[in-house]
Amino acid sequence: MSARIAGLCVAVACCSASLSQQPAFSTKVEAVRVDVLVLENGRPVTGLTPADFDIADNGVPQQVDFVSFEQIPLNVVLALDMSDSVAGERLEQLRDAGGAVLEGLAKNDQAALVTFSNVVSLGAPLTADVAAARHALADAHGFGETSLVDGVYAAMMVGESDVGRALLIVFSDGLDTASWLHSDAVLESAKRSDVVAYSAAIGTVGATQFLRDLSAFTGGTLYKIETTKDLRATFLQILDEFRHRYLVSYTPQGVSKDGWHRLDVRVRNHKAAIKARPGYLAGRAP
Amino acid sequence: MRRVLSAVAFVLLAACWTAAGQMRRSGEPLSLDTAVDDVTNDRIQRLKQWLNAVDRHEPGAHDDAVIDVGKWSNGELRGLWIDSYVLAQLMRNLRLSRFLLHSDDKRRTVDIRYTAWQIGRMRVFACAAAGTLARPDCAQLYIAAKNTDDDLVRLSEHAAAERSKSGDDNYLVRRGALLHADVAMLEPHGVVESFANRSLGAPTIGPQTWRIDISDGRELDVGLSALHWDLARLALDQVRPGASAKPAPERDAMVRAWYRATAAWMQYREDHDTLHLDRARTIFPDDPDILFLSGCQRESYAAPSIQAVTQTLTLPAGLTAGIGSDRAELRLAEGFFKRALAKQPDMGEAHLRFGRVLGLEGRHADAAAEIRQAMTLVTDTPLRYYGELFLGAEEEALGRLDEARDAFDRAAALFPSAQSPLIALSELAKRRGDRAGALAAIQRVFTLPPAGWEGRDDPWWSYHTAQARDAEALVDAVRAPFQREKP
Repeated sequence: MSARIAGLCVAVACCSASLSQQPAFSTKVEAVRVDVLVLENGRPVTGLTPADFDIADNGVPQQVDFVSFEQIPLNVVLALDMSDSVAGERLEQLRDAGGAVLEGLAKNDQAALVTFSNVVSLGAPLTADVAAARHALADAHGFGETSLVDGVYAAMMVGESDVGRALLIVFSDGLDTASWLHSDAVLESAKRSDVVAYSAAIGTVGATQFLRDLSAFTGGTLYKIETTKDLRATFLQILDEFRHRYLVSYTPQGVSKDGWHRLDVRVRNHKAAIKARPGYLAGRAP
Repeated sequence: MRRVLSAVAFVLLAACWTAAGQMRRSGEPLSLDTAVDDVTNDRIQRLKQWLNAVDRHEPGAHDDAVIDVGKWSNGELRGLWIDSYVLAQLMRNLRLSRFLLHSDDKRRTVDIRYTAWQIGRMRVFACAAAGTLARPDCAQLYIAAKNTDDDLVRLSEHAAAERSKSGDDNYLVRRGALLHADVAMLEPHGVVESFANRSLGAPTIGPQTWRIDISDGRELDVGLSALHWDLARLALDQVRPGASAKPAPERDAMVRAWYRATAAWMQYREDHDTLHLDRARTIFPDDPDILFLSGCQRESYAAPSIQAVTQTLTLPAGLTAGIGSDRAELRLAEGFFKRALAKQPDMGEAHLRFGRVLGLEGRHADAAAEIRQAMTLVTDTPLRYYGELFLGAEEEALGRLDEARDAFDRAAALFPSAQSPLIALSELAKRRGDRAGALAAIQRVFTLPPAGWEGRDDPWWSYHTAQARDAEALVDAVRAPFQREKP
């Protein structure tokens, strides 16, 4: 459960451990972090401090330790459907949208690329060398079936491989036809993760239900789209929204160690709309 | 993925037909519900072309017979469906003169009417197809029809030779079935009549089979399917063992082998036809292989790729997809696998799939027991791989996480280039709170070779066709005894 991280100060200061470097994780530190979007009249509210946030963990008020806004570099993981149906104009528009996200990254941000057809591949590990991710994106092409659930799980793990602040952007245009993992298992994993998942998906209700649930459990958003014509704008909107989220951290007090923790996040003195994950799972699964 | 999963079978309920030949009694009135089908001379000519195609077709070859018959429209094939049935009646009794078709619900009857010239031609065709053109009564008909057709003479000679060899009179019906199966397999059609306006016209005489082409959980097209499988099934319904006075396909080994092989071929191509296995089970209700394939078909119908379409598809009145909810389909699959195992308890693959279905139904302890039994019976490496994967999933569901990890490890050892066991190990480790283990396992996925020749290969990706992996060999075995040019 990535809500328990190895020291938030480490996360703030150094976000460079890549998956291939096999980072070690500790379960000693008790901090929980929550990405929170605060909107008033549709615009992000800025300048908030720990004193402005009220967080209740399973109904128990918590002391907010730390709030960051636009200070912590991002780890953006692109998880892109590269099945048969992604070809021609759709592939070009997907590459363009992914490229726009890479161009939009700040100096210390990192990016990774995971692609999935029936094969789940790491095109580029988390790296500040955006050129590597860009090359991997240019090489990606569609073939085979769709392992959406497996691909999302793998991308989520890439996001968790580094103590930085992880944004997962998923694109898919079809139903999962080849995953081994069941969607419920990956949603359980998502509840143990502090990766925030946004998705852009073309497809029927059945095809997009998993991504809808994934976004709901992680505090992200599902964008149901008809075509990939405006995918670039959608991806950039996701990146912009994520940049305007607060990272709020607290050390749980007065709550049980294991199980589902319902989160209730509020901002004092503002009639603000709050977007954050609804809770998290802690401890070992039964 | 834009692979087309074709032909979820549709049944037009009002137009499932059976047929019966009768002697006309003088002055017998037609019932009020009886319609009349006046046969055109074109249909008689088509039947003649068909006889010629059946006789000259080399089973398994993409020859002129396959190409020619493959071009016929569904209207032409529907006429052939009627006339070939009438021909089969005449082959048994040349004196028949009245032919009625009944809908399955017995509410509609159609009187198939031939002119005197047409019935005369049909009787000559029947003599040729039965290999009896030289018999005095047939020779008399042949002369009376002023017919000097070398094709019919050759057909009669071939049919007679086959009768001498096999001792039965099934030359035409067996080869007719092989021809239409080959057209279906070698000249695959998509939708032959589109169904754009989503409304049904007037019911037609004869079968109508609808198909949906789907991909990525979406419907691509809906329309009428070519009737070749219907014609092949109708032909084999007429198979008459040597000592039998009437058709008895249930006693014929070739018919059994044909249904098993063609049903497997359909599943290998993910070209599902519910009616095909329905008919197979009607004829062979206790055949373990057919019951096993029926279970596999229903297991496939429960998969999200098909459920996503059937749950959202809007069909007009009179049509049914014949596919239930995933739970309903799993129950049907369970029933078929149980029946197959009752007939053949050592069918390891049936135990394996039965176990998976039980797991999908949430009966994890029963599923694990069934899969363990399967593992004592199967030796094939891909089947053992499936068994370890499924056992791992059931052990995980039962909370026996060490046993689950061991099973996934064994699966990974069986297919080192497969990603599914590694992803399963990663998810399992994460569930146990072992994030380092989860990351290490997913890292192994990323270091697997890319897809392609000698690249990443995961049998899990072909699970829904694996039961039919020997389909080509089965089809070849059915064709072989009928091939004149031995490969």
